[in-house]
Amino acid sequence: MPLITTLPNPVKSNRVVQALALAALGCVWLLDLGVVQPNRIVSGTGYGLYASTGWLGTGAVISLLVVVFVLATRPAQKRFQVVAVVLTVALMTLPLLLEVLARRQLPEDSGYARIGVGAGFWSLAFLLALMLLETLGQLKASRRFQLSTVLLIVAGWWLCASREGLSSLALIREYSNRSDQFFQALTVHLSLSLGAVAISAMLAFALAVAMVKRERMRRPLLGLVSFMQTIPSLALFGLLIAPLGALSDAFPFLQTLGIRGIGWAPALLALIAYSLLPMVRNTYVALMEVPESVVDAGRGMGMNERQIFRQVKLPLALPVIIEGVRITTIQAIGLTAVAALIGAGGFGTFIFQGLGQAAMDLVLLGALPTVFLALAADAILSALKFQETSK
Amino acid sequence: MIELKSVTRRFGDAVAVDDIDLTVETGEVCVLVGSSGCGKSTTLRMINRLLPRTSGEILVDGEDINKADPEALRLNMGYAIQSTGLFPHWTVARNIGVVPDLLKWPAGKRDERVDELLILLGLDPETDAIKYPHQLSGGQAQRVGVARALAGDPNILLMDEPFGALDAITRENLQQEMLRIQRQLNKTTVFVTHDIDEALKLATRIAVMDKGKIIQHDTPEEILRRPASAFVENLIGKGDRGLKLLALRSVGELMERYPQPRKREPNADGLKEADSLRFALSVMVWKNASRLPVNSEAGEEVGTVTREQLLQGGA
Repeated sequence: MPLITTLPNPVKSNRVVQALALAALGCVWLLDLGVVQPNRIVSGTGYGLYASTGWLGTGAVISLLVVVFVLATRPAQKRFQVVAVVLTVALMTLPLLLEVLARRQLPEDSGYARIGVGAGFWSLAFLLALMLLETLGQLKASRRFQLSTVLLIVAGWWLCASREGLSSLALIREYSNRSDQFFQALTVHLSLSLGAVAISAMLAFALAVAMVKRERMRRPLLGLVSFMQTIPSLALFGLLIAPLGALSDAFPFLQTLGIRGIGWAPALLALIAYSLLPMVRNTYVALMEVPESVVDAGRGMGMNERQIFRQVKLPLALPVIIEGVRITTIQAIGLTAVAALIGAGGFGTFIFQGLGQAAMDLVLLGALPTVFLALAADAILSALKFQETSK
Repeated sequence: MIELKSVTRRFGDAVAVDDIDLTVETGEVCVLVGSSGCGKSTTLRMINRLLPRTSGEILVDGEDINKADPEALRLNMGYAIQSTGLFPHWTVARNIGVVPDLLKWPAGKRDERVDELLILLGLDPETDAIKYPHQLSGGQAQRVGVARALAGDPNILLMDEPFGALDAITRENLQQEMLRIQRQLNKTTVFVTHDIDEALKLATRIAVMDKGKIIQHDTPEEILRRPASAFVENLIGKGDRGLKLLALRSVGELMERYPQPRKREPNADGLKEADSLRFALSVMVWKNASRLPVNSEAGEEVGTVTREQLLQGGA
């Protein structure tokens, strides 16, 4: 009993954080933290934690993991709070390890030499993030608190990346060679995927309402949107080239709008087609699942059909509709990367260029922002859904 | 006043309501009772036009309901159902205020009305008003359902097994509340139930329905004394008919009243004027008493009632 009273908000005992800390120790022991490349194509030499950062860095990383391991042995609110702070700071400053590597191992005379991020660094970052997640979960941290932690870490990485010491990082080299293209790609990527989601959201809403009103429309409409979903994305992008090309040949004014067989037009159409199924299905199911008794009561109270739809059905269906938008947005952000193959632009351009030149860091320059955009969309729309559900 | 004149409702080939005539006088509680599928809910839902009738006429205060706009008609008819149908995304206060909002009452008047109804239904305007339906117990949710039905101050109240899903004690409480509210408000009420005891307790007149027809339409006492058919006799239960009759009358009607109220002896056993004869008999059997004093609401002893009186004059 006295033990419990000393823990005002008892944290459940578990070994997750400790197991992750051990795994992290193993990773930094076995895997290369970073790679020094003489230029962008040659694969370069890998360096482990000690070779990269010397006694100071190695000591810092190992003592961090040991401290977290020890603090996590006895579950207590206060100890977990300390662990959360330590992990957050560690994650924020993690890129400094690469900076130390650059300072120690990078040949000074070579303008092409660069630092590649090794498997050890990624694993360490990933495992630290998992530990932080588990700790925040144990602390039952609020969504707002979790979000600010993520923002702090992102800000930390941003600050580290903008330091002079890390300018030799391969990823940053690739970025600084193409910073104009990068922001153009960001704009194109966002406007293509979000534009497709917005248009298909409106279309899907209309289709779902039509299906709710006329039961006969349900099977053919759902069949059609499901069929579109089954076409492989590359094939759909390809299939649209011929008809759009023919269309723009026949109507020259379309060309002035930029509508051609390749480019943004077929990409947008394909993205809309893919976005329809999850959105139509979720909207339809959400509207159909509003309890009949609630609608009956609304009607019995004297609401007209319009009021029932606006005040009862729509608000009750909204969380599930937002869930559809969330799934669709994540999917569209990923698919937009593929759309680079038909000349639509976006981050996919870097990925396919990098693959063509066997320059993995260029691939990362396209892939990482795509992943980041998808995660951000997921976080924002989940928060929105959570807010709607808890109302 | 609600009048149904040879009203029929078919679903395809099936006849749900078969050529019924029914008059509900202003201020009376008409209970439609019968087993499930007998057409009682269908009848109720035709009155506020949630279901169209196949043929016949339904008049409210002499006007055919089909002449009015259905929404306007329903705004003047409170509607409470078994599953409550509370809007899960709205607070209790907003749920109750839905009809005043539809009627475009000013916010101040609406809020006053909501508070008044919360108090009338035994809910707390401070704490309960801001709750969401999923935070309420079954009985509370049903109270809110009834409050919502009363909110627009309608002339007519339609209730479709509102207490059907509640446990016996909560149901009993809510029936008492209904009786109290009805004495206060005198709404013309059509109440659907399958529970004959609930019908006997609440009704001014009962309409017994079977297979879409009204078998008997009469006061609870007449239904008990002179059931029109074997079906009605079965429904009211032959075995405890006498006790059910006793339940209809109060001690105050039968007791021997003193010329002057007397001071009550402290701690003496006693009945209240409003207690039913059935309750009085039960107390006498339990206490093996042949005579019990009767107290008024004010706590004075106003008469006595004997076991003989109950047995001879009760039923």
